[in-house]
Amino acid sequence: MVIDVHAHPLLFDVINEDPNTFEFRRQAFGVFKSGINPVEFEKILLDDAEIDKVVLLPEDYSTQMERPIVSNEEMTKIVAAMPDRFIGFAGVDPRREDAQEVLKKAFGEQHLAGLKLNLSRLHMFPTDERLLPLYEICEKAGKPIMFHAGYSWEPDTPAKYSQPILFEDVACDFPELRFCLAHMGFPWWNETIMMLMKYPNVYADTSMVYMDSPRHFYKQMFTVNMNLNWLQNCFWDKVMFGSNNPRFRHVRSLDGIKNLPLREDVMEAVLGGNALRFLGMEEK
Amino acid sequence: MVKLIEKQVVSKKEFDMILITDEGKKAVEESGITNGMVAVITKHTTTSIMVNESLPCVEKDIQATLERLVPTHGDYVHTHMLPTYGTCSGNAPGHLKSMLGGNHCIFPVIDGKMYCGGAQDIYFVELDGLQIRKYMIEIMGE
Repeated sequence: MVIDVHAHPLLFDVINEDPNTFEFRRQAFGVFKSGINPVEFEKILLDDAEIDKVVLLPEDYSTQMERPIVSNEEMTKIVAAMPDRFIGFAGVDPRREDAQEVLKKAFGEQHLAGLKLNLSRLHMFPTDERLLPLYEICEKAGKPIMFHAGYSWEPDTPAKYSQPILFEDVACDFPELRFCLAHMGFPWWNETIMMLMKYPNVYADTSMVYMDSPRHFYKQMFTVNMNLNWLQNCFWDKVMFGSNNPRFRHVRSLDGIKNLPLREDVMEAVLGGNALRFLGMEEK
Repeated sequence: MVKLIEKQVVSKKEFDMILITDEGKKAVEESGITNGMVAVITKHTTTSIMVNESLPCVEKDIQATLERLVPTHGDYVHTHMLPTYGTCSGNAPGHLKSMLGGNHCIFPVIDGKMYCGGAQDIYFVELDGLQIRKYMIEIMGE
Protein backbone atom coordinates (compact mmCIF):
# COMPACT_ATOMS: atom_id res chain seq x y z
CA MET A 1 0.00 0.00 0.00
CA VAL A 2 1.46 3.35 -1.08
CA ILE A 3 -0.27 6.49 0.23
CA ASP A 4 0.68 10.05 -0.68
CA VAL A 5 -0.48 11.99 2.40
CA HIS A 6 0.16 15.48 1.05
CA ALA A 7 -1.54 16.72 -2.12
CA HIS A 8 -3.66 19.72 -2.98
CA PRO A 9 -6.97 19.40 -4.83
CA LEU A 10 -7.38 22.85 -6.40
CA LEU A 11 -6.67 21.92 -10.03
CA PHE A 12 -9.17 19.09 -10.56
CA ASP A 13 -11.59 19.53 -13.42
CA VAL A 14 -14.70 18.53 -11.47
CA ILE A 15 -14.61 21.75 -9.42
CA ASN A 16 -13.25 24.12 -12.06
CA GLU A 17 -16.00 24.56 -14.60
CA ASP A 18 -15.82 28.34 -14.04
CA PRO A 19 -12.56 29.89 -15.39
CA ASN A 20 -12.76 32.79 -12.90
CA THR A 21 -12.90 30.41 -9.93
CA PHE A 22 -10.00 28.43 -11.36
CA GLU A 23 -7.91 31.59 -11.69
CA PHE A 24 -8.84 32.64 -8.12
CA ARG A 25 -7.60 29.26 -6.87
CA ARG A 26 -4.32 29.49 -8.73
CA GLN A 27 -3.58 32.96 -7.40
CA ALA A 28 -4.74 32.20 -3.84
CA PHE A 29 -2.70 29.02 -3.58
CA GLY A 30 0.26 30.26 -5.60
CA VAL A 31 0.46 27.84 -8.53
CA PHE A 32 0.36 30.46 -11.21
CA LYS A 33 0.83 28.52 -14.46
CA SER A 34 -0.63 25.10 -13.70
CA GLY A 35 -3.46 23.84 -15.89
CA ILE A 36 -6.65 22.02 -15.00
CA ASN A 37 -6.04 18.39 -14.07
CA PRO A 38 -8.82 16.02 -15.16
CA VAL A 39 -9.57 13.40 -12.50
CA GLU A 40 -9.37 10.74 -15.22
CA PHE A 41 -5.80 11.83 -15.96
CA GLU A 42 -4.95 11.85 -12.25
CA LYS A 43 -5.90 8.17 -12.22
CA ILE A 44 -3.43 7.55 -15.04
CA LEU A 45 -0.73 9.42 -13.09
CA LEU A 46 -1.40 7.45 -9.90
CA ASP A 47 -1.46 4.14 -11.75
CA ASP A 48 1.83 4.98 -13.44
CA ALA A 49 3.41 5.96 -10.11
CA GLU A 50 1.90 2.87 -8.40
CA ILE A 51 0.32 5.04 -5.71
CA ASP A 52 -2.80 3.51 -4.19
CA LYS A 53 -4.31 6.49 -2.37
CA VAL A 54 -3.82 10.25 -2.09
CA VAL A 55 -4.77 12.52 0.80
CA LEU A 56 -6.21 15.78 -0.54
CA LEU A 57 -5.92 18.90 1.59
CA PRO A 58 -8.38 21.75 0.94
CA GLU A 59 -7.90 25.18 2.50
CA ASP A 60 -10.37 27.78 3.76
CA TYR A 61 -9.45 31.41 4.38
CA SER A 62 -12.91 32.67 3.56
CA THR A 63 -12.95 35.42 6.20
CA GLN A 64 -10.31 37.24 4.17
CA MET A 65 -11.16 35.98 0.67
CA GLU A 66 -14.30 35.74 -1.40
CA ARG A 67 -14.54 31.97 -0.80
CA PRO A 68 -12.53 28.93 0.37
CA ILE A 69 -9.77 27.91 -2.02
CA VAL A 70 -11.56 24.55 -2.07
CA SER A 71 -14.69 24.17 0.06
CA ASN A 72 -15.68 21.02 1.91
CA GLU A 73 -18.64 20.60 -0.44
CA GLU A 74 -16.23 20.69 -3.38
CA MET A 75 -13.94 18.27 -1.56
CA THR A 76 -16.76 15.71 -1.34
CA LYS A 77 -17.38 16.16 -5.07
CA ILE A 78 -13.72 15.43 -5.83
CA VAL A 79 -13.67 12.36 -3.58
CA ALA A 80 -16.84 11.07 -5.23
CA ALA A 81 -15.07 11.20 -8.60
CA MET A 82 -12.52 8.58 -7.46
CA PRO A 83 -13.53 7.29 -4.02
CA ASP A 84 -11.21 4.31 -4.04
CA ARG A 85 -8.12 6.54 -4.52
CA PHE A 86 -8.93 9.91 -2.94
CA ILE A 87 -8.99 10.58 0.81
CA GLY A 88 -10.50 14.02 1.39
CA PHE A 89 -9.66 16.23 4.36
CA ALA A 90 -11.69 19.23 5.50
CA GLY A 91 -10.67 22.87 5.49
CA VAL A 92 -12.10 25.33 8.02
CA ASP A 93 -11.20 28.96 8.58
CA PRO A 94 -11.02 29.14 12.41
CA ARG A 95 -12.02 32.82 12.24
CA ARG A 96 -15.47 31.89 10.92
CA GLU A 97 -18.20 32.22 13.54
CA ASP A 98 -19.55 28.85 12.41
CA ALA A 99 -16.16 27.13 12.32
CA GLN A 100 -17.11 24.40 14.79
CA GLU A 101 -20.36 23.61 12.98
CA VAL A 102 -18.56 23.50 9.65
CA LEU A 103 -16.03 21.02 11.02
CA LYS A 104 -18.66 18.83 12.69
CA LYS A 105 -20.58 18.72 9.42
CA ALA A 106 -17.39 17.84 7.52
CA PHE A 107 -16.84 14.81 9.73
CA GLY A 108 -20.44 13.82 10.49
CA GLU A 109 -22.22 14.44 7.19
CA GLN A 110 -19.54 14.87 4.55
CA HIS A 111 -17.41 11.99 5.84
CA LEU A 112 -14.13 13.83 5.41
CA ALA A 113 -11.12 12.13 6.95
CA GLY A 114 -9.27 14.88 8.81
CA LEU A 115 -8.54 18.61 9.01
CA LYS A 116 -5.92 20.67 7.14
CA LEU A 117 -4.63 23.87 8.78
CA ASN A 118 -1.90 26.22 7.58
CA LEU A 119 -1.33 28.47 10.59
CA SER A 120 1.22 30.56 8.71
CA ARG A 121 -1.51 31.55 6.27
CA LEU A 122 -3.90 32.21 9.15
CA HIS A 123 -1.29 34.18 11.14
CA MET A 124 -2.18 32.13 14.22
CA PHE A 125 0.12 30.39 16.65
CA PRO A 126 -0.82 26.76 17.47
CA THR A 127 -2.16 27.70 20.91
CA ASP A 128 -4.50 30.41 19.59
CA GLU A 129 -7.79 30.12 21.50
CA ARG A 130 -9.79 30.03 18.28
CA LEU A 131 -8.10 26.77 17.37
CA LEU A 132 -8.67 24.87 20.59
CA PRO A 133 -12.34 23.93 19.96
CA LEU A 134 -11.34 22.55 16.56
CA TYR A 135 -8.63 20.42 18.18
CA GLU A 136 -11.22 19.10 20.64
CA ILE A 137 -13.60 18.15 17.83
CA CYS A 138 -10.84 16.32 15.97
CA GLU A 139 -9.61 14.53 19.07
CA LYS A 140 -13.13 13.45 20.02
CA ALA A 141 -13.92 12.27 16.48
CA GLY A 142 -10.59 10.46 16.13
CA LYS A 143 -9.75 12.55 13.05
CA PRO A 144 -6.15 13.67 12.41
CA ILE A 145 -4.92 17.17 11.63
CA MET A 146 -2.42 17.96 8.90
CA PHE A 147 -0.59 21.09 10.05
CA HIS A 148 1.57 22.95 7.65
CA ALA A 149 4.96 23.24 9.43
CA GLY A 150 7.97 25.37 8.50
CA TYR A 151 8.53 26.87 5.06
CA SER A 152 5.34 27.44 3.04
CA TRP A 153 5.26 28.21 -0.68
CA GLU A 154 1.85 29.89 -0.33
CA PRO A 155 1.57 33.70 -0.40
CA ASP A 156 1.60 35.64 2.90
CA THR A 157 2.81 32.80 5.13
CA PRO A 158 5.29 33.88 7.85
CA ALA A 159 7.07 30.73 9.02
CA LYS A 160 7.15 31.89 12.66
CA TYR A 161 3.57 30.65 13.14
CA SER A 162 4.46 27.12 12.07
CA GLN A 163 7.72 26.35 13.82
CA PRO A 164 7.53 22.70 14.95
CA ILE A 165 8.41 23.32 18.59
CA LEU A 166 5.36 25.58 18.93
CA PHE A 167 3.14 22.52 18.44
CA GLU A 168 4.46 20.89 21.61
CA ASP A 169 1.70 22.44 23.72
CA VAL A 170 -0.89 20.93 21.37
CA ALA A 171 0.70 17.50 21.78
CA CYS A 172 0.66 17.91 25.58
CA ASP A 173 -2.86 19.33 25.89
CA PHE A 174 -4.46 16.97 23.34
CA PRO A 175 -2.57 13.70 23.86
CA GLU A 176 -5.03 11.58 21.86
CA LEU A 177 -5.02 13.94 18.88
CA ARG A 178 -3.04 12.59 15.93
CA PHE A 179 -1.36 15.36 13.97
CA CYS A 180 1.26 15.65 11.27
CA LEU A 181 3.95 18.30 11.00
CA ALA A 182 4.07 18.56 7.23
CA HIS A 183 7.27 19.11 5.27
CA MET A 184 9.26 17.71 8.26
CA GLY A 185 8.95 21.28 9.52
CA PHE A 186 11.78 22.33 7.22
CA PRO A 187 14.12 24.07 7.99
CA TRP A 188 13.49 23.07 11.64
CA TRP A 189 13.67 19.32 10.89
CA ASN A 190 15.65 18.73 14.11
CA GLU A 191 12.75 20.11 16.18
CA THR A 192 10.39 17.87 14.24
CA ILE A 193 12.53 14.84 15.08
CA MET A 194 12.21 15.64 18.77
CA MET A 195 8.42 15.90 18.43
CA LEU A 196 8.24 12.57 16.59
CA MET A 197 10.31 10.78 19.20
CA LYS A 198 8.68 12.29 22.25
CA TYR A 199 4.97 12.34 21.38
CA PRO A 200 3.25 9.12 20.25
CA ASN A 201 0.60 10.81 18.11
CA VAL A 202 2.83 13.27 16.27
CA TYR A 203 3.79 12.41 12.68
CA ALA A 204 5.66 14.13 9.85
CA ASP A 205 5.63 13.88 6.07
CA THR A 206 8.28 14.03 3.36
CA SER A 207 6.81 16.88 1.30
CA MET A 208 9.96 18.92 1.84
CA VAL A 209 11.88 19.14 -1.42
CA TYR A 210 12.71 22.82 -1.07
CA MET A 211 15.66 22.69 -3.46
CA ASP A 212 17.34 20.30 -5.85
CA SER A 213 15.69 17.12 -7.15
CA PRO A 214 13.79 14.72 -4.87
CA ARG A 215 16.54 12.10 -5.22
CA HIS A 216 19.29 14.54 -4.29
CA PHE A 217 17.37 16.35 -1.57
CA TYR A 218 16.12 13.26 0.27
CA LYS A 219 19.59 11.73 0.11
CA GLN A 220 21.08 14.91 1.57
CA MET A 221 18.41 15.22 4.26
CA PHE A 222 18.17 11.62 5.45
CA THR A 223 21.74 10.41 4.96
CA VAL A 224 23.89 13.53 5.41
CA ASN A 225 21.95 16.02 7.55
CA MET A 226 20.71 13.02 9.54
CA ASN A 227 22.20 9.62 10.03
CA LEU A 228 19.94 7.24 8.10
CA ASN A 229 19.63 5.06 11.18
CA TRP A 230 17.93 7.92 13.02
CA LEU A 231 15.00 7.42 10.67
CA GLN A 232 15.37 3.64 10.52
CA ASN A 233 15.67 3.05 14.26
CA CYS A 234 14.17 6.04 16.07
CA PHE A 235 11.20 7.44 14.15
CA TRP A 236 10.62 4.94 11.35
CA ASP A 237 6.98 4.62 12.46
CA LYS A 238 6.28 8.38 12.25
CA VAL A 239 7.41 9.60 8.82
CA MET A 240 4.95 9.37 5.92
CA PHE A 241 5.46 9.78 2.19
CA GLY A 242 4.02 13.07 0.92
CA SER A 243 4.64 14.69 -2.46
CA ASN A 244 3.18 18.21 -2.16
CA ASN A 245 1.55 17.69 -5.53
CA PRO A 246 0.94 19.77 -7.70
CA ARG A 247 4.08 21.67 -6.70
CA PHE A 248 5.93 18.39 -7.24
CA ARG A 249 4.85 15.38 -9.22
CA HIS A 250 3.77 12.36 -7.20
CA VAL A 251 6.01 10.03 -9.17
CA ARG A 252 9.20 12.06 -8.82
CA SER A 253 8.85 12.56 -5.08
CA LEU A 254 8.14 8.86 -4.70
CA ASP A 255 11.22 7.99 -6.75
CA GLY A 256 13.31 10.09 -4.36
CA ILE A 257 12.04 8.14 -1.35
CA LYS A 258 12.35 4.75 -3.06
CA ASN A 259 15.95 5.59 -3.93
CA LEU A 260 16.89 5.83 -0.23
CA PRO A 261 18.74 2.73 1.03
CA LEU A 262 16.09 1.94 3.65
CA ARG A 263 15.36 -1.42 5.25
CA GLU A 264 12.35 -3.09 3.67
CA ASP A 265 10.17 -2.76 6.78
CA VAL A 266 11.01 0.94 7.09
CA MET A 267 10.29 1.59 3.42
CA GLU A 268 6.87 -0.09 3.75
CA ALA A 269 6.11 1.98 6.83
CA VAL A 270 7.11 5.29 5.22
CA LEU A 271 5.30 4.59 1.96
CA GLY A 272 1.99 3.60 3.48
CA GLY A 273 1.93 1.76 6.81
CA ASN A 274 2.41 4.87 8.92
CA ALA A 275 -0.24 6.72 6.92
CA LEU A 276 -2.80 3.99 7.61
CA ARG A 277 -2.23 4.46 11.36
CA PHE A 278 -2.26 8.28 11.10
CA LEU A 279 -5.52 8.20 9.15
CA GLY A 280 -7.15 5.72 11.52
CA MET A 281 -7.43 3.18 8.69
CA GLU A 282 -5.15 0.55 10.21
CA GLU A 283 -6.75 -2.85 10.70
CA LYS A 284 -6.87 -3.68 14.41
CA MET B 1 -4.06 29.70 -48.24
CA VAL B 2 -2.99 28.76 -44.70
CA LYS B 3 -4.80 26.24 -42.45
CA LEU B 4 -3.89 25.62 -38.83
CA ILE B 5 -5.14 22.64 -36.83
CA GLU B 6 -4.44 21.99 -33.14
CA LYS B 7 -4.34 18.40 -31.88
CA GLN B 8 -4.08 16.86 -28.39
CA VAL B 9 -2.24 13.74 -27.25
CA VAL B 10 -1.94 12.15 -23.82
CA SER B 11 1.42 10.62 -23.06
CA LYS B 12 1.32 7.41 -21.02
CA LYS B 13 5.00 7.15 -20.12
CA GLU B 14 7.86 9.42 -19.01
CA PHE B 15 9.40 8.85 -22.48
CA ASP B 16 6.74 8.16 -25.07
CA MET B 17 7.04 8.07 -28.86
CA ILE B 18 3.53 8.61 -30.23
CA LEU B 19 2.99 8.10 -33.96
CA ILE B 20 1.09 10.99 -35.54
CA THR B 21 1.84 10.40 -39.24
CA ASP B 22 -1.80 9.65 -40.07
CA GLU B 23 -2.95 12.88 -38.37
CA GLY B 24 -0.59 14.86 -40.62
CA LYS B 25 -1.72 13.08 -43.78
CA LYS B 26 -5.39 13.45 -42.90
CA ALA B 27 -5.01 17.16 -42.11
CA VAL B 28 -3.44 17.74 -45.53
CA GLU B 29 -6.11 15.77 -47.38
CA GLU B 30 -8.92 17.64 -45.62
CA SER B 31 -7.32 21.07 -46.05
CA GLY B 32 -8.24 21.61 -49.65
CA ILE B 33 -4.66 22.65 -50.34
CA THR B 34 -3.12 20.74 -53.24
CA ASN B 35 0.40 22.16 -53.49
CA GLY B 36 2.55 23.66 -50.75
CA MET B 37 4.06 22.63 -47.42
CA VAL B 38 2.86 21.06 -44.19
CA ALA B 39 4.56 21.71 -40.85
CA VAL B 40 3.96 19.73 -37.66
CA ILE B 41 5.01 21.77 -34.60
CA THR B 42 4.89 20.98 -30.88
CA LYS B 43 3.54 23.59 -28.45
CA HIS B 44 5.90 22.56 -25.64
CA THR B 45 9.54 22.82 -24.59
CA THR B 46 9.94 19.31 -23.16
CA THR B 47 8.64 17.40 -26.19
CA SER B 48 9.89 16.90 -29.73
CA ILE B 49 8.56 16.25 -33.20
CA MET B 50 10.79 13.63 -34.81
CA VAL B 51 10.82 11.91 -38.20
CA ASN B 52 12.20 8.40 -38.25
CA GLU B 53 11.49 4.81 -39.19
CA SER B 54 8.79 3.29 -37.05
CA LEU B 55 10.65 0.23 -35.81
CA PRO B 56 10.75 -0.82 -32.13
CA CYS B 57 14.54 -1.29 -32.31
CA VAL B 58 15.06 2.23 -33.68
CA GLU B 59 12.76 3.65 -31.01
CA LYS B 60 14.78 1.89 -28.30
CA ASP B 61 18.03 3.26 -29.75
CA ILE B 62 16.60 6.79 -29.82
CA GLN B 63 15.52 6.53 -26.19
CA ALA B 64 18.81 4.98 -25.03
CA THR B 65 20.93 7.52 -26.91
CA LEU B 66 19.00 10.50 -25.55
CA GLU B 67 19.30 9.05 -22.04
CA ARG B 68 23.06 8.52 -22.49
CA LEU B 69 23.51 12.11 -23.66
CA VAL B 70 21.16 13.62 -21.07
CA PRO B 71 20.86 11.35 -18.01
CA THR B 72 17.57 11.62 -16.11
CA HIS B 73 19.34 11.82 -12.76
CA GLY B 74 22.22 14.12 -13.67
CA ASP B 75 23.10 17.41 -12.00
CA TYR B 76 21.16 20.29 -13.53
CA VAL B 77 20.63 23.97 -12.73
CA HIS B 78 16.94 23.86 -13.65
CA THR B 79 15.96 21.84 -10.58
CA HIS B 80 14.43 24.14 -7.98
CA MET B 81 11.19 25.90 -7.12
CA LEU B 82 10.19 28.47 -9.72
CA PRO B 83 8.49 31.39 -7.95
CA THR B 84 6.68 32.49 -11.11
CA TYR B 85 5.15 29.01 -11.42
CA GLY B 86 4.76 27.96 -7.79
CA THR B 87 5.90 24.51 -8.87
CA CYS B 88 9.23 22.71 -9.07
CA SER B 89 11.38 22.77 -12.20
CA GLY B 90 12.40 19.13 -12.09
CA ASN B 91 12.43 18.59 -15.84
CA ALA B 92 15.81 19.78 -17.11
CA PRO B 93 16.42 16.47 -18.97
CA GLY B 94 13.17 16.99 -20.90
CA HIS B 95 14.23 20.48 -21.97
CA LEU B 96 17.65 19.28 -23.14
CA LYS B 97 16.36 16.20 -24.95
CA SER B 98 13.75 18.40 -26.61
CA MET B 99 16.53 20.60 -27.97
CA LEU B 100 18.21 17.55 -29.51
CA GLY B 101 15.01 16.29 -31.09
CA GLY B 102 13.74 19.60 -32.42
CA ASN B 103 10.30 21.14 -32.24
CA HIS B 104 8.92 20.51 -35.76
CA CYS B 105 9.08 18.73 -39.10
CA ILE B 106 8.14 19.84 -42.62
CA PHE B 107 6.99 17.91 -45.71
CA PRO B 108 5.93 18.97 -49.18
CA VAL B 109 2.27 18.84 -50.17
CA ILE B 110 1.81 17.61 -53.73
CA ASP B 111 -1.51 16.84 -55.42
CA GLY B 112 -3.35 17.21 -52.10
CA LYS B 113 -1.22 14.70 -50.22
CA MET B 114 1.69 14.84 -47.77
CA TYR B 115 4.74 13.76 -49.79
CA CYS B 116 7.24 11.68 -47.81
CA GLY B 117 9.55 8.69 -48.07
CA GLY B 118 8.33 5.18 -47.41
CA ALA B 119 10.30 4.81 -44.15
CA GLN B 120 9.40 8.22 -42.80
CA ASP B 121 6.97 8.43 -39.91
CA ILE B 122 6.20 11.41 -37.69
CA TYR B 123 6.44 11.05 -33.93
CA PHE B 124 5.22 13.32 -31.16
CA VAL B 125 7.90 12.52 -28.56
CA GLU B 126 7.13 12.99 -24.87
CA LEU B 127 10.28 13.70 -22.88
CA ASP B 128 8.69 14.79 -19.60
CA GLY B 129 5.64 12.59 -19.18
CA LEU B 130 3.02 11.83 -18.30
CA GLN B 131 1.16 14.89 -19.56
CA ILE B 132 -1.70 16.17 -21.70
CA ARG B 133 0.01 17.75 -24.72
CA LYS B 134 -0.80 19.76 -27.85
CA TYR B 135 0.77 20.15 -31.27
CA MET B 136 -0.08 22.12 -34.38
CA ILE B 137 -0.38 21.11 -38.02
CA GLU B 138 -0.11 24.04 -40.41
CA ILE B 139 -0.69 23.59 -44.13
CA MET B 140 0.42 26.42 -46.45
CA GLY B 141 -0.14 26.53 -50.20
CA GLU B 142 -2.76 26.82 -52.90
